[in-house]
Amino acid sequence: MNLLLLASVAIGAGLATIFFSGTKPRAALAVGIAGSLAVLVVALAMPTEESLQIGGVGLVSTPLVRGMAVAWSAGLAVLGLLEVAIGGRPTVVGPALVGIAVATAALATKDPASSVAALAAGGVAGVVIPGLSGWLDGPESPSRLPTTSRGSLAVLGSGLIGLAAIGWAASPAGPLEGGAGEGLGDPGVRLASGLALLAMVVAVAFRSGLIPLHVWAARFMEGVSPLAIPAAFAWGSAAFVLVALDWSQVFLGPDAAGDVESALIIGLSLLSLVLGGLAAMVHDDIEHVLGYSILQDAGIALLAFASLEPEVAAAARNWLVASATVKTGLAAWAAVVRATYGGHRLEDLGGWARHSPVLGLSFAALLVAAIGLPGMALFDARASLISSAMPGVGAVVTILIAAMPAIYLGRIASAGLRPIGQAVAVGPSGRPKWSGGRAGGWSEGTRRDIVRAIPADLRANRAALMALGVLALAVMGLMTAVGGAGG
Amino acid sequence: MSLVLVAIVLAIGAGAVVAVSTRDAAAAPIGLAVALVGSALLADPLPSAPILGVRIVAALLAATLIRWAARGGPRQFSPLGWPSEALLATAGAVAGLGLAVGLASISVGVGAGPTDGPGPIGPGVGLPSLPTGEVLTSMALTVAAGTSLLVLGAAPMVHGRPGVRRAIGLVLVAQAVLLLRVGVAGPAVELEEIARAAFLVACAGTGAALAHATAVAHATATPHDGPA
Repeated sequence: MNLLLLASVAIGAGLATIFFSGTKPRAALAVGIAGSLAVLVVALAMPTEESLQIGGVGLVSTPLVRGMAVAWSAGLAVLGLLEVAIGGRPTVVGPALVGIAVATAALATKDPASSVAALAAGGVAGVVIPGLSGWLDGPESPSRLPTTSRGSLAVLGSGLIGLAAIGWAASPAGPLEGGAGEGLGDPGVRLASGLALLAMVVAVAFRSGLIPLHVWAARFMEGVSPLAIPAAFAWGSAAFVLVALDWSQVFLGPDAAGDVESALIIGLSLLSLVLGGLAAMVHDDIEHVLGYSILQDAGIALLAFASLEPEVAAAARNWLVASATVKTGLAAWAAVVRATYGGHRLEDLGGWARHSPVLGLSFAALLVAAIGLPGMALFDARASLISSAMPGVGAVVTILIAAMPAIYLGRIASAGLRPIGQAVAVGPSGRPKWSGGRAGGWSEGTRRDIVRAIPADLRANRAALMALGVLALAVMGLMTAVGGAGG
Repeated sequence: MSLVLVAIVLAIGAGAVVAVSTRDAAAAPIGLAVALVGSALLADPLPSAPILGVRIVAALLAATLIRWAARGGPRQFSPLGWPSEALLATAGAVAGLGLAVGLASISVGVGAGPTDGPGPIGPGVGLPSLPTGEVLTSMALTVAAGTSLLVLGAAPMVHGRPGVRRAIGLVLVAQAVLLLRVGVAGPAVELEEIARAAFLVACAGTGAALAHATAVAHATATPHDGPA
């Protein structure tokens, strides 16, 4: 019942936040943050093994479902607080809560068509709402409508392709006629099985915005608040990939990935891995670095479709949840840097880490988590995914791929260690200041005066509190990168 | 074959043709509503009352959202005209019937032409029997309606200008895929029916929100134009 409760609370709070965000933004955000915390409590209380029957289908909560719900809702609560601090119309918490509801239900259900339809229906809110309401360059920006339109079509289109693939696979022309994974000795069945797998990979590519289908994703990420990116891409894509991977592994079986299919999948993955990594290296604005790094993460996860072995699927689960948690922290860092210093290009951010040591510390933790070290769940998952797809050269490729975030995140870190530039110097430092408290009678006033001074103190320490929020997310990312997600 | 099912398929096609081709902004959502409600009823036997209710509510909600978005936006209609769209829909339906017959022949393992007997098509899913000489089974009609909607909706969805016509195209394509999923792989379980309804409403909501934003942008760009 915890699963049902979690989904109900998340979808109720999410829809309430979305509907009231235009007329009562503060109340909507309060509902959203309270909903995130309630979902976190329910997720923490959820047993690792729980099953129920709804609509003729079993729903089973697993450590993965619980881990994803805990990590996403905890991160979302912090993102909601950051949204309060940054200001503007709330566009992050509501769609993300709907996303949590459909993702947990979709990962728990044993009916893949239900999962794909629900994920597409719930996931599109994460694109449409920030796209139409939270465009940073203003509502009249010429790229706003086309980008949101393409993004919505990509998310819904991935669901349509996924549904078509599932339906076709179960049709008389599909590979499931003799049961899951059976009859693959027949060339016709093998061909049908491979085509079904490739169709699902295409759906994943659409949903994740993989290269060469990335144009809308790149425009979207540069247009909206970085806080909206994790729900739309990191978590939303992760849930879709996990459902697609589960269907491919359980219904098609490992033999569906023949030589040709594997080569095509690895080629598509390498395209995103290499070009996404290079794009993150050459871009100077932090939103693009964030976006292309998420795209690169999805490219690594795609390698799981090239083998479909159970241990590789487990590695993909660990990889997707851990990398989404890390990228949530990175998105929060990007949003806070942008809100604090106004700039988002590296040339304008010289000395940001010196000026705000807490942000610097947070970024260092995120850097370690994103690159990983041997023995950490994230590093091992990446190594397993790459080695399974490219036996022989896997170790070398793993090091090369791990070096890419070291370079593009290292550039940001080195900018932070440079002498403090003019744009950064005029921004708030992020060091605690209690002037508001003293002005309100901190030392001599009554308790009521001190309580009254709290809002002013909070406003005066906005930058410091935002930096602490990023630090909390960075620690969470580091912990998930070390421990994984029960994959 | 049931004449009622054939009539429903004809109503679906007619409604969809009206939705994509009419110059009257108010008529398009009505045509869409006919197509979507017809799709909800296209089953033999009909599903249980709660599931039927979910389907019809989703269909009407989707049409309502499109109706809301159609107000005030620029007029959009098919450049081909309704006769061409009707012919396209007919061609799509015939292609769908051919597809269904082909799948049925595979399912019974004959290789050509429809024959008797059911065939397993996947774990837990079954295709109804196809008596000799019988082409218009309920599944075949479902596939025909799906391909017909797919043909009508694809062009406005992919190549149409942003606005209500693209939203209608998106909803028609979504309904088409949902029909094809049932037509080729058998009935959905109850949970999937709910997810499918949510998906259809999400498609309509997304299309309506984008169309409304386009209408606002259009009104801002041409402040002297009255609503369409």
